[in-house]
Amino acid sequence: MIEREQSGRIRDWAVQRRLPAAIVERWLGLDAADRDALLALAEGLRLRTGQFVSAFELLEETRLRDGGDVAGILARGELRGVIEGGGSRPERAHLLLEGLRAIRFPRLRAAAAGLAEKIAELKLPLSIRVVLPQNLGSDELRVELTARSGAELEELLDALAARRTALCRIADALGGSDEFEDEF
Amino acid sequence: MNFELEALFVEEDARASALAERVIARLPAGVAVRYVADGRSATRPPAGADPFGAAKRRIVLMRHRGGFLKSCPAGSSEFACCGYQVMILASNCPMDCSYCFLQEYVADNPGLQIYTNYHEAFDELDRLAARAPGRSFRIGTGELADSLAFDTLTGISRDLVEYFAARQNLLLELKTKTDEIANLLTIDPKGRTLVSWTLSPERVFRASEHHTAAPAARIDAARRVHEAGYKVAFHLDPIIAYAEAEADYAALLEELFALIPPERIAFISLGGLRMTPTLRTIARRRFPSDPMLVGEEALAPDGRYRAFTPLRLGLFTRIRERLTRAHPQLPIYLCMESPSAHRRVLGAPPASPAQMGARLARV
Repeated sequence: MIEREQSGRIRDWAVQRRLPAAIVERWLGLDAADRDALLALAEGLRLRTGQFVSAFELLEETRLRDGGDVAGILARGELRGVIEGGGSRPERAHLLLEGLRAIRFPRLRAAAAGLAEKIAELKLPLSIRVVLPQNLGSDELRVELTARSGAELEELLDALAARRTALCRIADALGGSDEFEDEF
Repeated sequence: MNFELEALFVEEDARASALAERVIARLPAGVAVRYVADGRSATRPPAGADPFGAAKRRIVLMRHRGGFLKSCPAGSSEFACCGYQVMILASNCPMDCSYCFLQEYVADNPGLQIYTNYHEAFDELDRLAARAPGRSFRIGTGELADSLAFDTLTGISRDLVEYFAARQNLLLELKTKTDEIANLLTIDPKGRTLVSWTLSPERVFRASEHHTAAPAARIDAARRVHEAGYKVAFHLDPIIAYAEAEADYAALLEELFALIPPERIAFISLGGLRMTPTLRTIARRRFPSDPMLVGEEALAPDGRYRAFTPLRLGLFTRIRERLTRAHPQLPIYLCMESPSAHRRVLGAPPASPAQMGARLARV
C-alpha cells in the first residue's frame, strides 16, 4: 500500500517535471529506501528536471563505482548539511550538485583544488591569469597577461620570471609529475 | 575457446571458397548454415534488445569489397602514432568488452564478417613491399577484429604466418585476447610473425572483458607461442585509472615477467581508456553494472572522454618506470596520445609514424 502510494507520488512528480520515461523507470526500479530518498530530495529542494537528472546520474555512477546505495550517499554529512541546511532552495540545489560532483570525482576535485592553491600561492598581479584546462582534460597551462604599455608588460614579465620555478612545477603537475600525487 | 555461435551465413559467391568449406566442416553441431545472395544484408543489426550483442553470435562469410590494407584508423595528426598498417580480414569480434570501440565503429554492420577472398590481401602486400624496397612494415589483423578468435574454425592464421615467413621486410602482428594458439604452434614463423596480447588486470577482465581468456591464460599462451619461435608483445590498453590501478598493474607485470622475461618481449604499448560521447552512451547502456565505465573522466581536446590528464599521465609514467626498471631497452610506445603526452611519459619526442612503424617492424 505504502509502496503504491510512493510510486504514485513519484509518477506525479515526474509528470509535473516532464521527466523522461527512461529516467522514471530507473527511479522506480530502485530499492524502496533509495526511491524514497530521491523523492524526498526532489520534493524538498524542488529540483528542476535537469537538476534531478544530473543528481540521479551522479548518484547512480557513484553507487556503481563505490558500492552502497543512493540513500546512503545522500545521508553523508556533507550532503545532509546542504539538503537540510539554510539558504534558498535554488542555492541548496546548486550546492547539492556541487557536492555530488565532488563525491563522484574525488581525485579530480582534489587535484584541481591542489593546483588552484599552488596558483594562489604565487600571488600574481591581477593582470596575470593562470588558467587550468577545464576539468584538467588536457596538459595545457595557459598564462594570460593583460598590459596596456610596454612598461606594464615588462613588470608582468618580471613578475612571471620571479615565479618561474613554481610555475614550471604547476605545468609539470598537469602532466602527471609526482608533485601533487598524494592529492590524486 | 568456446564462443557462442547461433548461425553461419554464407554468401553465394563465397560458397565454393576454401574458407567456407573449412568453416562448415568444423562448425559445432546445431549451428544453422544459411546461404544468402549478398552477405551485407546478414551483417545488419538483428532485431532485439541488444542487436550489437546478438550480431556477434552470427558469422557471415563473404567477399570483401574494396582494399584490405589501410593505415590504422586510430591514427591522426593529433596523436603520436606507431605507423601500424591494418589488414582487414574480418570485422567484429565474438568477445564483448564493455569499452570496445567497435560498439560505435561497426554499429550499423555488427555481424561478424570474415572475408573469404583474404588471399587477395597478399597481392596488396606484395605491391606495398615492392613500392618501398628496404622499408619495413608492421601489418596487423587485430584492429577491427580479434586476430585469433575463431581461428580453430577458419585456420586463417596458418596461411598468414606462412606468407609472412617468406617476406623479410614485412612483419605480421596477430593481436588477440584469446588463447587460440593451436594453429600457430604447428608452423615455423621464421621470425616474421609477432603475436601480441592485450593485457588487463584481473579486476578489469572480470568487470569488462566478457568472453575473453583470463589474463593468466593469455600470458601462458604468450609463453607457449614464444617457445614455438614467435615474437611476442603486449598492449596495456586500455589502462583504466581506477583507485587500485597502480597496484593491479604492478601485480600484472610481475605475473607477466615471471613467465616471459622482459628482454624477450618485442614491445609494450600503453593506451588509456578513451571513449567518444557516443561510445560512452552505448557502453553504459549495454553494460550498466560495469564500474570501469564510471571513472574520473574529463572531455579531452580530441573530443573523447579520458581519465583527467594528471591522473592518466601520472599512471602511465609510473607503469613506464616499472617497465624500464625491468628492462631499460624495452621498446614502449603510447597509443592515441598527443606528442606532448609522449614527451612527458617517455621523456622524448615521438618519432614520425613512418619511423615508428619501421622500428617496430624490426623488433
